[in-house]
Amino acid sequence: MAVQDAIPAPQAVEDTAGTVRRKRILRHAGIFLTLILMWEFGSRIGWLDPLFYPRPSNIMRSFWLIYFQNGNVWYHLYATMSLVFLGWIGGSILGIGLGSLVGFNSVLRRFLKPYVIVLEATPRIAVAPLLIAALGFGASSKIAIIVLVCFFAPFINTLSGVMNVDEDRLELFRSMRASKMQVLRKLVLPDAVPIIMAGERLALTAALSGALVAEFIQRDEGIGSLILVYTRNLNMASAFACIFTLTILGFLIFKGMEKIDFYVAFWKYEGGRERVSAKRRAAMEGPDHA
Amino acid sequence: MPDPTIAQSSTHDIVVSGQGVGKTFADGSVIALQDAHFNIKRGSFVSLVGPSGCGKSTLLRLISGLIPPTSGEIAVHGTPVTGPRADISMMFQKATLLDWRTAIENVLLPTEINGTPTKADKNRAFDLLKLVGLEDFAFSFPAQLSGGMQQRVALARLLQTGADILLLDEPFGALDEFTREHLNLELMRIVQEVGATAFFVTHNIAEAIFLADQVVVMTSRPGRMAKIVDVDLERPRPLSIQTSVEFNKLVEDVRETLGEM
Ligand SMILES: Nc1ncnc2c1ncn2[C@@H]1O[C@H](COP(=O)(O)OP(=O)(O)OP(=O)(O)O)[C@@H](O)[C@H]1O
Ligand SMILES: [Mg+2]
Repeated sequence: MAVQDAIPAPQAVEDTAGTVRRKRILRHAGIFLTLILMWEFGSRIGWLDPLFYPRPSNIMRSFWLIYFQNGNVWYHLYATMSLVFLGWIGGSILGIGLGSLVGFNSVLRRFLKPYVIVLEATPRIAVAPLLIAALGFGASSKIAIIVLVCFFAPFINTLSGVMNVDEDRLELFRSMRASKMQVLRKLVLPDAVPIIMAGERLALTAALSGALVAEFIQRDEGIGSLILVYTRNLNMASAFACIFTLTILGFLIFKGMEKIDFYVAFWKYEGGRERVSAKRRAAMEGPDHA
Repeated sequence: MPDPTIAQSSTHDIVVSGQGVGKTFADGSVIALQDAHFNIKRGSFVSLVGPSGCGKSTLLRLISGLIPPTSGEIAVHGTPVTGPRADISMMFQKATLLDWRTAIENVLLPTEINGTPTKADKNRAFDLLKLVGLEDFAFSFPAQLSGGMQQRVALARLLQTGADILLLDEPFGALDEFTREHLNLELMRIVQEVGATAFFVTHNIAEAIFLADQVVVMTSRPGRMAKIVDVDLERPRPLSIQTSVEFNKLVEDVRETLGEM
């Protein structure tokens, strides 16, 4: 504190930065509120068909209804989320596993390349009805659909991460007479972590879309079927409440993945480097130099 | 590790020797190195100079065992080189540090590859970081270090191997003049301190002579060892030695050889 009192300049700079930030937030909030109000009144005076564009106030009421008064959304939210999670895990294991396998084995790579290209060109979601036909209605076909739509990004990213290892570093490891396993564990895999994480981020978003499509088709449970039911009953306000729920979910997923990336690919972030640097120092100096 | 019986039976103290060493690439269409003969004594500092593409890196990679020669044979401590070995350690133009490891963990990498680092290994790594002037940065990640500092970590890692033959391929080539000069002096001091034999590739003739006991002058197309110039300047050498008459005679000698091709 005393130091800051003595040197007022940085404080002043911070203040202006804070003010600018506050102003910007206020401006955004203002624009947002104006839009909402325009929507509300446009709907009230008949510019917007209230059937398809329910008033924001009605959507808010639906939120209250589905979350608290009826509380029926929780069950479906849970159903969708567990599908997304299981499918994502499955797709990741498949993608990362297959990606490393193909990345390390040049024979396998040459053999599989045409199939990968075909698979890349085909919209994977188109296979969904076939999967349902093969596996029947129920959780297993839903998860299979999600695995199918989300395994590709981790697969391709793992593949390219594993294949694009720096030649000089490989030579360094060879000159140190490292075994294949050591090259893999100490060089190739850690080096590929950031790009694999980028793939995982895409996969999770794809998993959410995949879950919705699966639910649209099966219409038994989950946010996707809920949206379908509400739209059929022309309860657009509740449908919108579900859609905004997905918006929030998507945002949380994005933030969550950012957080995970900060921990597993820490060396890419200044804060991450500082955190781990301090930890490693404590770990090595603690017992040794006590 | 040096084998005492071989050292005694062979002529004096030759640690690295090459007989008619040649290397071609692309099915023989590119002659990277042709018919090289050399005998390098223990503890020598050998500089390699020559134009781009004359086979300097190729020669180092041959000595290190990373690539096999197409003809001839290289022997280290009396035994033929058939692959990478523990008594040889190499450093590249790029620092090639691992971004996810702290400086000290990077220095410990060669030890880790050979087994589990002991407390003594860790202390040694600390000492080496101190030697290159980075004791305060032991727990910094490469991204937190300047290019010169990264290169110094790579130097510490090179020494951590305990190898007594050090191969340095333009190790400070990407750095500015001041940092390079400083690191060259450090390198010269350290190599003498640990009694290693060093091969040092550079494009700079003055630098090559200043550091070396012997300067291998190479010419290109095909890559050849044109001449080995002995540098009989007293050690320790102050920077000012570069303005002396003897020094400039050596520079002339190297220049002439390079110009002859
Ligand atoms: N792996 C390789 N495959 C094919 N040609 C190669 C290979 N490595 C080197 N060469 C060729 O061998 C010759 C010598 O290359 P080398 O890298 O040894 O040169 P250099 O003296 O180190 O050059 P510079 O000073 O530019 O680093 C060059 O003509 C180069 O194109
Ligand atoms: Mg080179």
